[in-house]
Amino acid sequence: MRHVFIVGKRVITQLRHDKRLLAISLVGPLLIMYFLKIFLDGLNVAALTARYVIPFTAFIVHFLAFLLCAIVLVQERTGGTMERMFIAGFRRSEVIGGYIVGYFGLATLQAAVVLTETLWLFQLDYEAATLFNLFLVFWILAVVSVLLGIFISTFARREAHIFPFIPLVILPEMFLSGMLVDGDKLPVWGQWLGRLSPLHYANNAVQELIKGGVGLETIGRDLVILAAYAVVLLLVASRTLAEA
Amino acid sequence: MNAVEVSGLRKSYGKIQALQGVDLRVPAGAIYGLVGPNGAGKTTLIKALVGALRPDAGEVRVLGLDPLKEKWALRRQIGYMPQSYALYEDLSARDHLTFYGQGQNVADLPRKVGEILAFTELSERADDPVRTFSGGMKKRVSLACALIHDPRILFLDEPTAAVDPHLRRRSWQLFRTLAGRGITLLISTHLMEEALLCDQVTIMRQGQIVAMDTPERLMERGRSQLWVHQNGAAQQQVIPSTPAALATALHAYGLAAGIDAVHVRAESLEEIVLGIIQEQEAQS
Ligand SMILES: Nc1ncnc2c1ncn2[C@@H]1O[C@H](COP(=O)(O)OP(=O)(O)OP(=O)(O)O)[C@@H](O)[C@H]1O
Ligand SMILES: [Mg+2]
Repeated sequence: MRHVFIVGKRVITQLRHDKRLLAISLVGPLLIMYFLKIFLDGLNVAALTARYVIPFTAFIVHFLAFLLCAIVLVQERTGGTMERMFIAGFRRSEVIGGYIVGYFGLATLQAAVVLTETLWLFQLDYEAATLFNLFLVFWILAVVSVLLGIFISTFARREAHIFPFIPLVILPEMFLSGMLVDGDKLPVWGQWLGRLSPLHYANNAVQELIKGGVGLETIGRDLVILAAYAVVLLLVASRTLAEA
Repeated sequence: MNAVEVSGLRKSYGKIQALQGVDLRVPAGAIYGLVGPNGAGKTTLIKALVGALRPDAGEVRVLGLDPLKEKWALRRQIGYMPQSYALYEDLSARDHLTFYGQGQNVADLPRKVGEILAFTELSERADDPVRTFSGGMKKRVSLACALIHDPRILFLDEPTAAVDPHLRRRSWQLFRTLAGRGITLLISTHLMEEALLCDQVTIMRQGQIVAMDTPERLMERGRSQLWVHQNGAAQQQVIPSTPAALATALHAYGLAAGIDAVHVRAESLEEIVLGIIQEQEAQS
């Protein structure tokens, strides 16, 4: 367990020293949300703003956490530092744990900042309890995304192997998870495909929460599925992360 | 006990046979050099020794342990410096040493980090990110990372490639100091002048060991040109590069007062090694 925190601390130190990355992951989403606002303003769907905007925020957290983590891990492999870590006595599970700890920090910060930015930009207002639950959903989603990044990175030999995932996996996810299109409007196969994506469950929970007056009992099932997703990915990734 | 014992080691990458039956015995407390052309299998051999790859066949023992089956016992005792820098660009030298030191449970770590930074002459820039370092400085950080836990055996894959002559000298002084403390060093290099600084040298070619000896004995495999200027006339002959052969040749001249000058040009280790490799190539 101590090793997990040693790796985590190192990942956080790296993130702290990479000012550009921090700026991109905190300011970038604000810009995207601003464009989304212009887009939605043009559509004149004020009543539906929250229905699109909050899930979209979740999507950004999901996407960035996945991408950053996958790329940094591929760099560890290509740069030889992964191999070095294993020879220096770190275990696979400890490296994965360390990355989760390290990116927890970034993902938590990101979830908080992006959510605040969105609420401010769209002038949305929720009760404290709802806000807390929204944050909880974002946070669990971020953890799943970090794990997904780790898992996917085990199949990549170069950074370039990660990029096809953006158009091939992440974009379809947007449409099939219920985030843009309500699930019941999708063809049945689309609904099933959507259920493979963690974003599907995050979206379900978020859609419930923004109706207001909804507590953990309603979104509990989605959160449990997300947590299960995380556990399965953790188990699979700790087997597939190659030691050389 | 030998620090490293390898027998019948084989490893292929697809069609490429990177190691084709390597046998090796590295005595403890020595500096052991590994030389050979690009693609000879030096890196592959070192990786098999540190447990970074799974051999197809053969036995490997490092400090009596199997690098794969007993890796946790072994990893405290070995230091490994890969051929690439293998550093985190955004971290400082001190961050690196702290990370690997904590990973190895090094006692009194801040003091130890300071000591290693001084030893590798990095103290002045210890807190700058590694991305601002020159290639030679990165190599030193990489070496420092391999030293932080006082390993009993060091595997250094081209530690002085791209390092300037002054620093290279310093590095070899460091290696000697380490060997003096009883540490075994296995060092790969392309530079024959460095091979001369080792206690034992192994020459590899196409995944096989073609020669293994002390540098002195390897030098003796070469030939020397001898010019003797006697009574105003010059005579030339080729003799083996051994001290005894030189003495014999000079005796033949009677070491007379008439000898004005003697020139000896021995084949360099580089020429000898190239000769050995060419011989092997001619045979296969
Ligand atoms: N990951 C790999 N995949 C495929 N082939 C490899 C791999 N690593 C090494 N090889 C091959 O194995 C052989 C030995 O390579 P190795 O890196 O051990 O040589 P080397 O002696 O260290 O060379 P250099 O002096 O250039 O570092 C080469 O033919 C190389 O092409
Ligand atoms: Mg090599």
